[in-house]
Amino acid sequence: MRFIDETLREKLAAEYVLGTMSARARRRFEFHLRSNPQLRRAVAHWEARLSPLTEALPAIEPPARVWHAIKVRLRLGQTGRAGFWENLSFWRVSSFASGLMALALVVFIAVPRPEAPVETGRMVVVMNDLATRKPAMTASWEPGQSGGRLLRIRVIGHAEMGPNTAWELWMLPGGDQKPVSLGLITTHETQVVKIPAALAARLDAATGLAMSVEPGGGSPTGLPTGPVLYAGECIKT
Amino acid sequence: MQPGCLTFTGKKAKIAVNLPETPASEQLSDLLARCALRDQRAFATLYQFSSAKLFAVAVRITRRRDWAEEVLQEAFVNIWNHAAGYNSAKSAPMTWMTAIVRNRALDWLRKPREVEIDEEHEELMASIPDESPGPEELLRRSLEAGELAECMKTLTEDQQRSITLAFFYGLSHGELAEQMRKPLGTVKTWIRRGLDRLKGCLDELGR
Repeated sequence: MRFIDETLREKLAAEYVLGTMSARARRRFEFHLRSNPQLRRAVAHWEARLSPLTEALPAIEPPARVWHAIKVRLRLGQTGRAGFWENLSFWRVSSFASGLMALALVVFIAVPRPEAPVETGRMVVVMNDLATRKPAMTASWEPGQSGGRLLRIRVIGHAEMGPNTAWELWMLPGGDQKPVSLGLITTHETQVVKIPAALAARLDAATGLAMSVEPGGGSPTGLPTGPVLYAGECIKT
Repeated sequence: MQPGCLTFTGKKAKIAVNLPETPASEQLSDLLARCALRDQRAFATLYQFSSAKLFAVAVRITRRRDWAEEVLQEAFVNIWNHAAGYNSAKSAPMTWMTAIVRNRALDWLRKPREVEIDEEHEELMASIPDESPGPEELLRRSLEAGELAECMKTLTEDQQRSITLAFFYGLSHGELAEQMRKPLGTVKTWIRRGLDRLKGCLDELGR
């Protein structure tokens, strides 16, 4: 839909946000929306322009069953970590093959040298691509030592980074604590990230890791600002 | 008050007493960022903070509590699943979430369904506690201050009315024409010219 001029783009975006389009027109418009960033910008502008209208609506408390239904649908709150894990629908992928693959991955990371016996006590994170829900990156380290940590990172498959962007790795301390940056990483298949001693204990206790796309040089705010591409939970092997 | 300190009780009164009226945009952005990182507690807090406001939007458009509940549920599933796509530099968190609710509600209204609007519908409508004012009153209230107010005033009465009816009730062009008892072409023109003028005016004011 590159051929549409600004006038038409504005008109369509306005009508879409206002809500006057028929079901068919909405579907067609949303189809174009996916591939047309200018159109998305026009829509965001109109949403911002008209949003003051909803501010005067008196709030209505929804019944508790709505929240329960949401939790059930998203499988939230199933005893902490398990819920998180299930939500990433990793172990629960119905196909046996992907289960095997997941297992193979964990074993692979837990065993740096094939001839060594299976090490236990290592921390392992398999981060899923949140869009495809497939494993995209793994990280592992040895917890409990004095000094810093060496985070071994493995990027699975082919990944591309846009120009003037950076990949930033975050640890999620759990609870209400904000994510903590572990620094920028690259798209290289294997890499090692040094974690300073000051963060070591928190890393060992982290509930998960995540990777977000940030402007070049990393997040300007100290918190993730861009889309989070990969996330996964820390497990102790 | 830290949002995370609150526990979700599901009790209306308690929430009404404990929660700040409008949590700061920054706070909501932060919660969304944490949702993107799959933080369930952040999601629960986000729901506590925003669900009543968003439910009002859903009720207003679907005009049926049961449909509005479905819409709100859909919307929060979307919010959780797409939290990673939220960009605080591009839109305010409430605007982003409201757009999701509005879009789900509009989809819901446009969905061909077996149950047509009937007496049952009217009955359910009546069950909505309608302390909520009509679109004109809402427009007046929301416009007491701000740039949109200034700009809305530059529209003709028909343009204002058709735009607010469409926005608050999710009426299509055809439905608007029926509601306002005017030819389709006339209503379309009101909307188009009204929106054009709004945009021109807001752009001039730097929005």
